[in-house]
Amino acid sequence: MQLIFGLLALFAFTGCGRNERMDLVYGERCANCHGVGGRGDGTLAAALPSPPPDFRETVQRKSNSQIRRIIAEGKGTMPAFDPALRPAEINDMLQMVRYLSREGRQLAWWEKYDTLIAAHCSIPWEAALGLDDPPEKKP
Amino acid sequence: MRLLIIHSLAVLQLVFTSLGVESFAHQAELKPVERREAQIPINDFVLLDQSSQQFKFGQVAGRVVVVVFAYTTCPDVCPLLTAALRQVQSGLSQEERNKVFLLTITTDPEIDAPKILTSYAKRYGADLTNWSFLTGNPGELQKVWKNFGVGVKRKARGLVDHTPLTALVDRQGKMRIAYVGPAPDAKAVLKDVRALLAQ
Repeated sequence: MQLIFGLLALFAFTGCGRNERMDLVYGERCANCHGVGGRGDGTLAAALPSPPPDFRETVQRKSNSQIRRIIAEGKGTMPAFDPALRPAEINDMLQMVRYLSREGRQLAWWEKYDTLIAAHCSIPWEAALGLDDPPEKKP
Repeated sequence: MRLLIIHSLAVLQLVFTSLGVESFAHQAELKPVERREAQIPINDFVLLDQSSQQFKFGQVAGRVVVVVFAYTTCPDVCPLLTAALRQVQSGLSQEERNKVFLLTITTDPEIDAPKILTSYAKRYGADLTNWSFLTGNPGELQKVWKNFGVGVKRKARGLVDHTPLTALVDRQGKMRIAYVGPAPDAKAVLKDVRALLAQ
């Protein structure tokens, strides 16, 4: 029972692989500066007064609420997205940042569990556990 | 049991790192800035500033005005435009600050309420003694955009395509120089500002 609970907690708090919603919001709002892989090498990065960070070096040290606050309120020249995005979209952005921060590790063996992971990731864990607003339906 | 859980968690942590990176279709390009000379009279207009106070363009008559069109949730060129304008402000002497005014005019009034413009100005460290951030009703803003030749097209909430314009208006109220592009060189803008002040 403890093992099952531990695994559920890991799934809920670790986050999932990427999905189309995450790709869309990240591609539209983040990639120009942060780069498609989150390495701080977007097409506009070199022209910014201070370069965006490589997510692999900075994100693991931050909590979800810290990352969510930066996305919502902005930081330096980074826009504050709270006025423009729904909580569910900010959550997608957060999950994408977490996902990209783990990029670059060689774990091909685990890819055979993609189906299991995809099934798990279709469950809105944060909402189910009462940790976040439920995803909103688009009007 | 505890070790087993820790081991399982460590292994499963790795499961989530195995997917590849795809490319995105919406990559902005860092195009070079084009400098154009013009002689376009700017009509008086009334908008709202970041403090919700009425701002009449006529109140800065007699000064050289640097105007940038941007919006606060812009994920591409606007941070570069606003950062460049901040550099221009930093490059002005105290005496020049009395003769030069800076304006950021929103291209997204749906989002950019005065309170949001205040936060934006603060993040960039703007000195509001000679820099105002303007919003207003869409009808009035459309007239201003058109007068300056700025095209604006809403793509989604908080996502707007617009001409990346930095404009210099002389003391007689004519737009004299237009920089079209995402990152105008602050030194070049300051040089043109000083040339207009000298006229």
